[in-house]
Amino acid sequence: MSAPRHPEEPRRPGDEGSAIGRLWKNRVVRSIFRVGWPRTRQARLRAMLSSLVLHVHPTRVRAHVLRPGYTLGLGLVSFYLFLILTVTGLALMLYYVPHPAAAYRSMKDIEYAVTFGMFLRNAHRWAAHAMVAVVFLHMCRVFFTGSYKSPRELNWVVGVLLLLLTLALSFTGYLLPWDQLAFWAITVGTAIAAYFPVLGPQVRYLLLGGHEIGQAALLRFYVLHCLILPLVMAFLVALHFWRVRKDGGLSAPADRLHRRVPAWPHLVFRELLVLVLVLVVIHAAALLFDAPLEEIADATRTPNPAKAPWYFLGLQELVHYGAIFGGVVVPTALVLALLVLPYLDTHPRGVGVWFAPERRVANGVFAVVALAVVAVTIVGTFFRGPNWAWVWPW
Amino acid sequence: MTPPAPPAARDASRRRFVAVAGGAGLVTGALGLLGALARSVLPDVLYEPPRRFPVGRPADFPPASVTLVSERRLFVFNTPDGFYAISAVCSHLGCNVNHEPGKGFACPCHGSTFEEDGRVRTGPAAWPLPRFSMSLSRRGELIVDTRRTVGPDFRLKV
Repeated sequence: MSAPRHPEEPRRPGDEGSAIGRLWKNRVVRSIFRVGWPRTRQARLRAMLSSLVLHVHPTRVRAHVLRPGYTLGLGLVSFYLFLILTVTGLALMLYYVPHPAAAYRSMKDIEYAVTFGMFLRNAHRWAAHAMVAVVFLHMCRVFFTGSYKSPRELNWVVGVLLLLLTLALSFTGYLLPWDQLAFWAITVGTAIAAYFPVLGPQVRYLLLGGHEIGQAALLRFYVLHCLILPLVMAFLVALHFWRVRKDGGLSAPADRLHRRVPAWPHLVFRELLVLVLVLVVIHAAALLFDAPLEEIADATRTPNPAKAPWYFLGLQELVHYGAIFGGVVVPTALVLALLVLPYLDTHPRGVGVWFAPERRVANGVFAVVALAVVAVTIVGTFFRGPNWAWVWPW
Repeated sequence: MTPPAPPAARDASRRRFVAVAGGAGLVTGALGLLGALARSVLPDVLYEPPRRFPVGRPADFPPASVTLVSERRLFVFNTPDGFYAISAVCSHLGCNVNHEPGKGFACPCHGSTFEEDGRVRTGPAAWPLPRFSMSLSRRGELIVDTRRTVGPDFRLKV
């Protein structure tokens, strides 16, 4: 399998006689990994093709897309965060009880009576927050590099659906701790849903399984959060990855389409490096900062101010100006604009580079809208106090 | 008597029939299943507190007073003209409003303010705080029915 080593060449992993080299000779290992440690060009291609995990990738990948400054690894980070959320979420499910009488107590158990429970909950919470931010940034990256253009229109649409799913997962997860923060954030969120014309009140009834946030609502949010939405998410993530391959790999400018390097080791090891970075950051955040848990939910006492989770504070700020305007018109218009965008912008140029001069107008409009979203979110988070009046955070 | 159709035409029409019948069966079956699923998620029985309930005896409410019945999320007004009930749930997005005697109501979530009689003074709320129908039970308790809203002239004389 390996090419003979020149006597003066330094010993490398996978060489004859090295630890990894000996490992690859083991029969059990060979039954799992049928290709040895790949050193020749041909072995590298076979390594990518013969592994269930690795064959998601192409055997060779455009050198352009490997530059860290091009994709910033944001899609990959989103996926890693989804994996971290799945694993930590499964662990939390073993202790969490989705009933109003027990939910808050089981949260306290997770924090104080489960070894590493606090750590797992923190990791889950911070990974969830990070995922909302990273998915949003990933969308910005794809837009500013013109990567939604033909033939990638459908994958942009799938990406928009994944963004909405990310928000829906965050929102449904928010109710589960059954504390004051959760209860009132969901009160406001579901009341916004009721403003939708014609079907609004029915949607709220369907979401809550009744007229009030109670046992039925908690169970529904639990099943949505732990099962229904993650299953849809997993399917759409698979579709998203599949379409990346079928649309010809990640985008690149026309003059750089054909310079390719083997995915092993260039892509695989970069991906592992990003995984290490994500794990380190989430570990650090979970060890340093505890996820908040307020008092137990109390329908008779609204905290002042009552705030939604931060990624909905922009929405809450808009809702302050009028529920139909902020809760229905603006979000619906934004989502529709995102969905039809790749079909309206048929101009083929400016793909594969950041801020292409040909795309000055499109990038400008998108930047203004994205900054507006960030701005109202910041206003809602830091500049609004009791009775939603202006406050200065400093 | 018409001559029998040639075998090829009979085959074609039979295949067409099987295709149409099969397709119709598939669509009907799928729609039936999805319809049943969609209907089933709308609950018919709710294990919620009743929406028509007693709030206490008239004597529990001092004359010319406003009382917050916090577990029912409403205010009971006892005026010389009679009793009436105003919802404590903001008509904007469902937070509990706070009552400041003589100044009206204020919502902590999005800053709506309401007059003492429930009309909108400022803020994003588009509708007044709803008023609920009240009655007196045979046992002499004040009953509030949150399923029935009433106009601003409603008073329950006891």
